[in-house]
Amino acid sequence: MGLLINFLDIIVFIGIFAIVALSLNLEYGFTGLGNFGKVAFFLVGAYTYAVLMERTEIPFYVALVMAMLTSAGIGLLVSLPALRLREDYLAIVTLAIGEILRLIVKTEDWLAHGVWGITVPSAIHWSGISVLETRLVNVGLVYFCLIVCFTFMELLTKSPYGRILRAIREDEVAAEALGKDRVKYKAQVLMLGSALAGLGGGLYAQYMRFIEPYMFMPMVTFTVWIIVIVGGSANNWGMLLGATLVKLFERGALVIKDYFHLPIDPINLQYILFGVFVIFLLAYRPQGLLKERQIKTKAVEVVQRWRNRCSE
Amino acid sequence: MEESLLRIKEVAKHFGGLWAVNRISLDVARGSITALVGPNGSGKTTLFNIVCGLHKPDEGCVYFNGERIDHLSPHRVYAKGIVHAFQIPRLFSRLTVLDNMLVAARGHKGDSLLNSLVFKQGWQEQEWKLATKALELLNLLELDHLGLSPAGELSGGQRKLLEIGRALMAAPVLLLLDEPAAGVNPNLGRKIFEKIELFRRSGLSFFVIEHRLELLFDFADRVYVMDKGKIVVQGKPEEVAKDSTFYKVYLGD
Repeated sequence: MGLLINFLDIIVFIGIFAIVALSLNLEYGFTGLGNFGKVAFFLVGAYTYAVLMERTEIPFYVALVMAMLTSAGIGLLVSLPALRLREDYLAIVTLAIGEILRLIVKTEDWLAHGVWGITVPSAIHWSGISVLETRLVNVGLVYFCLIVCFTFMELLTKSPYGRILRAIREDEVAAEALGKDRVKYKAQVLMLGSALAGLGGGLYAQYMRFIEPYMFMPMVTFTVWIIVIVGGSANNWGMLLGATLVKLFERGALVIKDYFHLPIDPINLQYILFGVFVIFLLAYRPQGLLKERQIKTKAVEVVQRWRNRCSE
Repeated sequence: MEESLLRIKEVAKHFGGLWAVNRISLDVARGSITALVGPNGSGKTTLFNIVCGLHKPDEGCVYFNGERIDHLSPHRVYAKGIVHAFQIPRLFSRLTVLDNMLVAARGHKGDSLLNSLVFKQGWQEQEWKLATKALELLNLLELDHLGLSPAGELSGGQRKLLEIGRALMAAPVLLLLDEPAAGVNPNLGRKIFEKIELFRRSGLSFFVIEHRLELLFDFADRVYVMDKGKIVVQGKPEEVAKDSTFYKVYLGD
């Protein structure tokens, strides 16, 4: 029974981080924006959700939507100055924003009780609900959101819009010379990406039932980056695979620690093993486990027909 | 005198202390092939970059169809109908040849965020039409068999052709070609210019930088010779060919 509950915990984490990884994949994998402040938008989503749930009577799904909107708004705000910078500077700026926002929620007690953290009321609750049932409800909620996000990303990245994002990633000057307003596209992408990260944050707050600034260290950003790199950037399925592997490993180490006595702390070992794994992956399969796929629209059929006609 | 499509007036641009373009004025007539020649580093590419909006001129104005365009960003210059094919091809390497062409297409409904999600029926139909157009162009450039290969796998000459094809796909009014025949074999170079002549007859105008003089003398309507940021000789190809200054700056005495 305990093992099942632990297993469901890992499942929930995989779902939440898959959503956040999808958002980074849109920004980095498809558009080439090195956003090293993913945790900032995760934090905004989590805190928006937590504060709204604590202080108002609105239903949880409204709070989730508000978390997305607030995060998207801040994403747009950040994008305005940041998108005019070169790629490496964008990384520095976003990294700094993550830290700034964390320090704000940490020191501004009136906002969300600072270091004391904030307790979040449960979204779906009935009397006599067991731990197992709570976990199952969370699995349902998180995976419903994941399916919606995944479908959205697949539709978006396999459309002509996605093609332009990839073009901007490959050569933004050429894309601009071919009439594509790169600042507009990048701002839209950062907004969408932030909204998704905000949704992930809201779900995280709802699942954890308690959040504090310490949960939003830059390490969260790097975990999401590892998921994108391992899974294979510019492949949405890769995000599901990457999130599964990374979270299975990370949360699994916690479970192992509870059940077995090892001469070495499995949590520390886990960091070492993962570091080695990522280095090997980058050396031998830099595109990640799953490769980027070509865009398949009707245009591809036209070419295939043309080819068949030529070879006859 | 034919009607002027592009008018460059007293344009100057400096990088540090160097005047790359020094008060140049020239005209590209509608429906013409106008050539710009000159030694390396004479400012030809800088002038092209000013026209297509990548550089802002320090002085002077650029008019297109009588409208001032020198303060516009590149995507707005594209919207006016000027498309630039770069000297060193700037392809989207991991995208297929077909996708490279389709990115350049003008007025694709699926290019906007909302349409690409909601209006799928509409843009799928357009994809069909644009892909057919792209294939006709690729066929002309003998790249049609490579439609689904990544652009990064093309050879040097094929890249050059795709760069030109992509610019043609953008349905331009004026096409800026930066050394279209450089780096391709002599036969193919001539073929490219024959294609250019074909498109010119259908109403396109061309502004071309080229070092292959024999091609220019066969195809260009007007030649401007640039040296050290200034126009030193201009006129019909046969006039320029007789000019001693031209030989001095270009061929060295």
